[in-house]
Amino acid sequence: MDNSHLRVSDLRFRFAGQPSDLFHIAQLAIPRGRTVGIRGASGAGKTTLLHCLAGIEPVSSGSIRWGNDEISALPPAALTRWRQQRLGLVFQDFHLIEGLSARDNVLLPASFTAWKAASIVRERADALLRRVDIGSPGRAAELLSRGERQRVAVARALLFEPAVVLADEPTASLDPENRDTISRLLLDLVREHDATLIVVSHDTALLDQLDMQFELRDGALQMVEVAHV
Amino acid sequence: MFNPFSVVVADYRRNRLLVGITLALIAIAVAIGVAVIAQERALRQGSARAADDFDLLVGAPGSPTQLVLTSVYLKLQSIPLLGGKVLAQAATATGVRYAAPIAFGDNHGGYPIVGTIADFASRGSALQPTEGRLFAKRGEAVVGAGVPLSIGAVIHPEHGQHHADEAEEHEHEHALTYTVVGRLPARYNVWDKAILVPVEDVWAVHELPTGHEAGSAQIGPPWTLDQLPGVPAIAVKPESVGAAYALRGKFRTSDSMALFPAEVLNELYGTLGDVRDLMSLLALATQALVVLAVLLALLVGFLARARQFAVLRAIGASPGYVFGVIWLEVSVLVAGGAVLGLLLGYGTSWALSGWIATRIGFALPLSMGFEELLLAASLAGIGLIIATLPAVLSLRRPIAEGLKA
Repeated sequence: MDNSHLRVSDLRFRFAGQPSDLFHIAQLAIPRGRTVGIRGASGAGKTTLLHCLAGIEPVSSGSIRWGNDEISALPPAALTRWRQQRLGLVFQDFHLIEGLSARDNVLLPASFTAWKAASIVRERADALLRRVDIGSPGRAAELLSRGERQRVAVARALLFEPAVVLADEPTASLDPENRDTISRLLLDLVREHDATLIVVSHDTALLDQLDMQFELRDGALQMVEVAHV
Repeated sequence: MFNPFSVVVADYRRNRLLVGITLALIAIAVAIGVAVIAQERALRQGSARAADDFDLLVGAPGSPTQLVLTSVYLKLQSIPLLGGKVLAQAATATGVRYAAPIAFGDNHGGYPIVGTIADFASRGSALQPTEGRLFAKRGEAVVGAGVPLSIGAVIHPEHGQHHADEAEEHEHEHALTYTVVGRLPARYNVWDKAILVPVEDVWAVHELPTGHEAGSAQIGPPWTLDQLPGVPAIAVKPESVGAAYALRGKFRTSDSMALFPAEVLNELYGTLGDVRDLMSLLALATQALVVLAVLLALLVGFLARARQFAVLRAIGASPGYVFGVIWLEVSVLVAGGAVLGLLLGYGTSWALSGWIATRIGFALPLSMGFEELLLAASLAGIGLIIATLPAVLSLRRPIAEGLKA
């Protein structure tokens, strides 16, 4: 079983002190390499669902499997390792470390487990930076434009060639031109790596380019039929 | 193994001003403590060393502190004169190696001219002149290491410490000249600035009998009792510790007082020690407050940056990595501030010592002591322990909650 095949069963999430579940997903299976969009009204629990799938938010019950890794049952250290190696995360607000250069931001996940990144990892970081069209990788993150920062963030997410890329409103903080650029880059890169992509977004232009769309409504995830033109 | 330093350095770079102020605050707090401790020790050692040349002082009954300040530290004050009879007694008493009159009054260019005997100039042959020789007859002078006069220089004493009667002064200036015949090794106290001459000359300038038969050119003991004028102080060098106590008893009379300068200084240190304790306490309290304020400021800073640490955890950093980043950020600041403070403290002490030495009349031997090292080390140690607090706090927060912050 390959690592990017998602299987969710009987997943429930309830905030502490709340009378009912925020969502309950009986079954969900997403084959490897698919690109999936999740939309829904504000407060529907999209981001929380994404955090559950990323192993950041502990689920109330049920199971989440990415390939052979049942991340809902992994011990903390193994889960941390899984996030570093197998998961790429892209945030709405980029979340680069200011004070570090673009290159060092891309290499940051390598410093979690190594004193100095292996040369092959460093070459990969440089290749990714070229791929996302960052001309001066030595530039400090805070000096980059918003579009450039999100491109660096996408490169960082892909450093360890993860099987899974999860993105939370990756285009919401960008102007229309940069939205298109980031959408295209994200899709192209996950397809190049044969990774599975799940995007939480309101951006219909982005959602329409994905293989599948779901809507989280009233605590349930429903497939949305997309009329591809 | 992980490498938290890139994030630590990035955080420092982003908060240069905060880092600078934090380092400066800790450094200044440590420096104050170090300077207080080092300076007090230097003052104690320096003043004790200055008193080494004065085992037993005999003076007219009055204030012991005044007698010590006047003779040991040459803080010339008008002190009552001791009858010449006491000098004659002291010079011949058993157990006395030498009993030197110390007579003041004149100066040359601000360098005090002190009348005494050759035995005192050489501290009982313990000091050999570095240049020339000791004075051997009237009109000769031997200068301290810090007096800018060369051998063979001829000096005209100016009478008194202040300008008195112009005509009288004029007369005295021409009454006598001294020829410098020798230079003493440095004693690192105010006596390095003194010009030592035969006491007979000082008496003569003041139109007093000279301790010998009229017309005699003799200098030093033995004295002729009925020709001895009064002297402000007698520095007695006893032959032994036992003799010192016997002599002190012998000269504690209604006509004279005798004291060990070291003892008088000990009393002063008692007072000084209390002040020192108070200052140390203040310095310590300052340090504690500064460190507390700094740590609180850092803690607030870390709470405000909860999201950064949540992001690090989300993209695969272990709890140990985040703990390491926060702990290092605080620890490096505190330890760095402590080291800077040590340097700053010693630097300040060193600068202060030079300045103080010129006003108190003895050199301050500056040294590195265990106390201030302990102070800086314990501060740094406490900082490293307290630094675990924000680190632990940041780990207790769930990652998802931090991402929403």
